[in-house]
Amino acid sequence: MADPRQPRTTLALMREMGLTEEVVARRKAFLEFGAEDVERLRGLHDLAAQYADGVIEDFYSHLLSFEETQKFFTDPAILARVKAAQKQYFLELTQGQYDAPYVEDRLRIGVAHERINLPIELYLGAYNFYLRTVMLRLVEGYKNNPEQSTATLGSLLKLVFLDMGLATETYLFRRERTIREQQEAIREISTPVLPLRERLLLLPIIGAIDPPRAQQITTQLLQSIRAHRAKVVVMDITGVPTVDSAIANHLIQTVQAARLMGATVIVSGLSPEVAHALVRIGVDLSAVNTVGTLQDGIEAAEQLLGYIVSKAGDTGTSHNPAGS
Amino acid sequence: MDSRSWTSTCSGGTHVVGESRVPIKQGGDIITARQQGRALAAQLGFSSADQTLIATAISEMARNILVYAKVGEIIVRPEHNGKAGITIIAHDAGPGIPDINRAMQNGYSTSGSLGVGLPGTKRIMDEFLIVSEVGKGTTVTMKKWKT
Repeated sequence: MADPRQPRTTLALMREMGLTEEVVARRKAFLEFGAEDVERLRGLHDLAAQYADGVIEDFYSHLLSFEETQKFFTDPAILARVKAAQKQYFLELTQGQYDAPYVEDRLRIGVAHERINLPIELYLGAYNFYLRTVMLRLVEGYKNNPEQSTATLGSLLKLVFLDMGLATETYLFRRERTIREQQEAIREISTPVLPLRERLLLLPIIGAIDPPRAQQITTQLLQSIRAHRAKVVVMDITGVPTVDSAIANHLIQTVQAARLMGATVIVSGLSPEVAHALVRIGVDLSAVNTVGTLQDGIEAAEQLLGYIVSKAGDTGTSHNPAGS
Repeated sequence: MDSRSWTSTCSGGTHVVGESRVPIKQGGDIITARQQGRALAAQLGFSSADQTLIATAISEMARNILVYAKVGEIIVRPEHNGKAGITIIAHDAGPGIPDINRAMQNGYSTSGSLGVGLPGTKRIMDEFLIVSEVGKGTTVTMKKWKT
C-alpha cells in the first residue's frame, strides 16, 4: 500500500471514495437540491460578496476566542492564509456551479482539516457559527422580501449540508484508510517463522486469517523454507478461531507448494470446533498432515528428521539428539 | 468499525442482543461479520461448536459476496419463533447465480475454489433459502436453532 504521507490528488481521492457524477447527483436529489436552488444561490452572490469580509472577521474572532480552535492559528501568516481561503470558500457557495470541481474542492477542505487533526465536533460547531453569521446578514439583506429570504436560506442549507457531508466523509474515509494500513502493518509482523532446530521451522499463526494474510503466510513460509533449507515445518493454528473452505483451500495449496520445495508441512492445533465445522462443511483435508496439538506436531517433526529426544540422565537413549 | 448495530437494552443496561449489519466491501469485513455472528451466537447461548459453525457459515457467504458480487451486506439477528435461534442474511446486488441447482452441487465452482461453500453451508445450517436473479443479485437467508 502507498505511503500515507504521500500526497494524493483530490481527484484520485474522489475516485477512491466512489464519488462519481451519478453518486453526487443522487445526493443532490436526496437533498432536493435543484435548479431553483442554484438560481437562488446565484442571486445571493452580490450580497454575499458585499458581506464576505464582515462574515470572515466575525467567524475568526469566534474561533480565536476559544482555546480549542485558537491553537490552530498561532502563526499570523497561517491565519492570513486561511482567511483568504475562507473568503474564497464563502464566495464559491454562491457562484452557481456545483458539479465535479466543486465537490473536489470540498473534499480538499475535508482533507486539510483531517491533516491538522481538527476534531469533527469543532468543524461542525464552527460551521454552525458560520451559518448563523451568514443567516443574520441574509435576513437583513432580504428584509423586504421575507419569502425570498426563507427560500434562499433553505437553498443555502441544502448546499451547506452537501458540503458538510463531503467534508466529514473525507475524515472517515481517511481514518478507515489509516486503519487498513495499520492492519497491514500488524499482518506483516504477526506471522513469525521460527527456526526451531536445524531444518525444522515453526510457524505459529494467531488470529483470524483473511485472504491477504493467507497469501502473506504462504510467501513467508516458502521463502523461509529456502532460507533455512528446512525439511519439516510445523504450522500451528491453535490461535485461529475459524477456518472456512477458502482458508482450508489455501492451507492445502501452501502444503503442496512446500512439498514441491522438498519440505513436509505438519498442521497442528486444529481445534475440535474447527475440525467439526470443516468436516460438516465437506472440506477434504486428507492431503494435509494434521496432528492434534503443537506438542504432537513438534514430536512428529523431530521423528521425521530422525531426532530422538530424551530427558537428561535417562539411561539407554542418547542425550545428544543432534549428534546421534 | 464499519458495522452498525441497532441494539436493544435490557433493564440490566449492558446486555445487548440485537440485529447487526456489516457491509462487505473488503477482506477484513469478512472477519468483522464473523465476529459479529459469533458474538451474537454466544450471547444467545449457542454451544462453542455451534458458534464455530455459525461463524464458518457467515465466512463462506461473506466470501461469496466478495468474490462474485464485490459488495454486499451480512445481517445477523436473533430469532424468537417459539424457539431461540439466529438468522443470517447475506445479500448482494451482484450478477446473480444463473443455475442455482448446479451452484448447490458439491465441487462446482466458477472461481477455482473448493466448491463446497454453498452446499457445505446448507449442511451446517438448519434452514437455508437462496434467492437469486441474474443481473439483480443474490440473497441467502439461513437459520440455526438452539438445540
